[in-house]
Amino acid sequence: MITKEIFEKLKEKFGDDIIRLDESVKDPFVVVNPQKWLEIAKYLHDDPDLYFDFLMSIAGVDYPDENLIRVVYHLWSYKHRHMLVVKVELNRENPVVDSIDSIWANANWLERETYDLFGVVFKGSRNLKRLLMPEDWEGHPMRKDYEEPKEYHGISTERENPVYLFHLVKPPEEE
Amino acid sequence: MALKDVLILVVKISIVIGGMLGVVAYLTLMERKVVAYIQERLGPNRVGPWGLLQPIADGIKLFFKEDVIPAHVDKLLYIIAPAITMTMAVMPFVIIPFSKSFFLSDINVGILLLLAISGINTYGVLLAGISSNSKYSMIGGLRVASQLISYEVALSLAFVGVVLWNGSMSLVKITEAQHVVWNIIPQFIGFIVFFIAALAELNRIPFDLPEAEAELVAGYHTEYSSMKFALFYLGEYANLTAMSAIITTLYLGGWQGPWLPGFVWFAIKTFVVLFVFMWIRWTYPRFRFDQLISVGWKVLIPLALLNIALTAILRIYI
Amino acid sequence: MSKVEKVDITKTTHIEHTADGVIMVTNLDLAVNWARKNSLWYLLFATACCGIELMQTGGPRADLDRFGVVFRNSPRQSDFIIVAGTITYKMAERVRRLYDQLADPKYVLSMGSCSNTGGLFQHSYSVLKGVDKIVPVDVYVAGCPPRPEALTHAILKLREKVGREPYFKNYVGTRFFKFMRWIKNDN
Repeated sequence: MITKEIFEKLKEKFGDDIIRLDESVKDPFVVVNPQKWLEIAKYLHDDPDLYFDFLMSIAGVDYPDENLIRVVYHLWSYKHRHMLVVKVELNRENPVVDSIDSIWANANWLERETYDLFGVVFKGSRNLKRLLMPEDWEGHPMRKDYEEPKEYHGISTERENPVYLFHLVKPPEEE
Repeated sequence: MALKDVLILVVKISIVIGGMLGVVAYLTLMERKVVAYIQERLGPNRVGPWGLLQPIADGIKLFFKEDVIPAHVDKLLYIIAPAITMTMAVMPFVIIPFSKSFFLSDINVGILLLLAISGINTYGVLLAGISSNSKYSMIGGLRVASQLISYEVALSLAFVGVVLWNGSMSLVKITEAQHVVWNIIPQFIGFIVFFIAALAELNRIPFDLPEAEAELVAGYHTEYSSMKFALFYLGEYANLTAMSAIITTLYLGGWQGPWLPGFVWFAIKTFVVLFVFMWIRWTYPRFRFDQLISVGWKVLIPLALLNIALTAILRIYI
Repeated sequence: MSKVEKVDITKTTHIEHTADGVIMVTNLDLAVNWARKNSLWYLLFATACCGIELMQTGGPRADLDRFGVVFRNSPRQSDFIIVAGTITYKMAERVRRLYDQLADPKYVLSMGSCSNTGGLFQHSYSVLKGVDKIVPVDVYVAGCPPRPEALTHAILKLREKVGREPYFKNYVGTRFFKFMRWIKNDN
């Protein structure tokens, strides 16, 4: 099935919770209501015609202009050999969405990564803590307004450009 | 015992221990050279001619390193563990006949003594693992315990075959009984079992799980530095030499051979076995732990029992 | 980083002044340093692509074992650590810990741009800008990653450094004075 057919099938079942379909990009995607996402995901996984048995990735994208964080899910069905891209749109100040690690177990690490780097809270996750950054790290570094701290545990995070050490070139004057 | 006998014994012991330590030190170089040639490298060659001074440099360096005793260890056990390993590694040479007339003692329960020594030898490694109080050492120590207990059984059963065939427990008598045919031919199954169990007893690849560097940092000697580590390092090679000497004595006819003097034959055979150990180490990958245990209990022990039965039948009809 | 203090240890007997007192040094240093520089064991610490070059340096073409340089897995048994690869802040604390666990005398060899300055990834939020922010580095190797020849050269340089170090002054003399102070305070 192509994305359009899947979208129509979902629309029939869930109505207004399936918000829109975008076919203008290379990988067409479906945008769904974050409140109903767990239910929809369960349907995508269990329905014999859809049967998405593999979660390929979860990624976050930050849109400060629209005040949105979009979480992107890539699903794949080994049985029917079709793919689906699902996006949920979350408020940037308080991004909360249901966790789907009860359906696809590998979602746990992907969600942890998204939580770590974007600060998206996955409600009902088995084990939601930082995956890549140290556990006492402050802030979520992949957000576009993130600013690097001056030091971490007493280690300075700045370094003079080694080019200027030899006094051949002068550093640009700060304004 | 007259003073003269005591003096002779002391001289003999010094020769054996001194020679042993020299051989063991140079075994480390031999191992490095063997692995180098197996991997198409050159190995140590900058320190003295052909790298011959390498073991001396290593020894002096280790002696002058800082001797770290971490705060979290059980001090007494931590300190005696390398001593146990080293002492017990040298002990088997007490009863091994190096030539027809040169041996320290000929006791009639020699094989039992060997088993006792290898039993105590386990403690060195086990105590090192447990007293270090660090998780990698601990896992290494526990692996040693389960591995050595499993393989000790196969090892002793292989011993039984030799004892039945030669009708003695004294290593001198066993060697002399092999003057017609070496034990490796009538005891072939026993030899295979013994060799594999010996590999496991020595914690060498393919059974080097107690110090598997990919999983356990350095296994039971993770926390040891300086001379304490050197004792483990030398102890490992001393064990290796001892095990090769035992295999030579039990299966390869000991010092017996034509033309050359007995001592030379003994040395040649021991070094051939040593080389085979090194060859195996740098050729094979490591077993998984469950495979290791199941090989020990499901293959080696039944084989050893079969060997005993066959030996008994042969003994009756030949 | 301060400049390495050059001491001519080949002088037969000379007197060293330290904060605690005077040490007379004979040229036993020479013998000990000969052993130390010919048996440098490194701690395997590879975090990125430099690690591959490090392995390659131990391989047939560059063969570090010729100089008696072999790897150990445990920091307690190593003489120096080769920091090969990008160090993140999460890893930085581990590096420091491994350095503290090395037994004296210990050295650090920083291999590759990432470990020298942060290299390619220095603008990243998570990458340490040079391993010399956390441990004192003895030898830097430039390159991304450095060729095995470069690493071999660095190790030869480290050997030179080890060879002219006043071992007894730095490690035995100071410890002796510490021990004497401890005895005086105790009684």
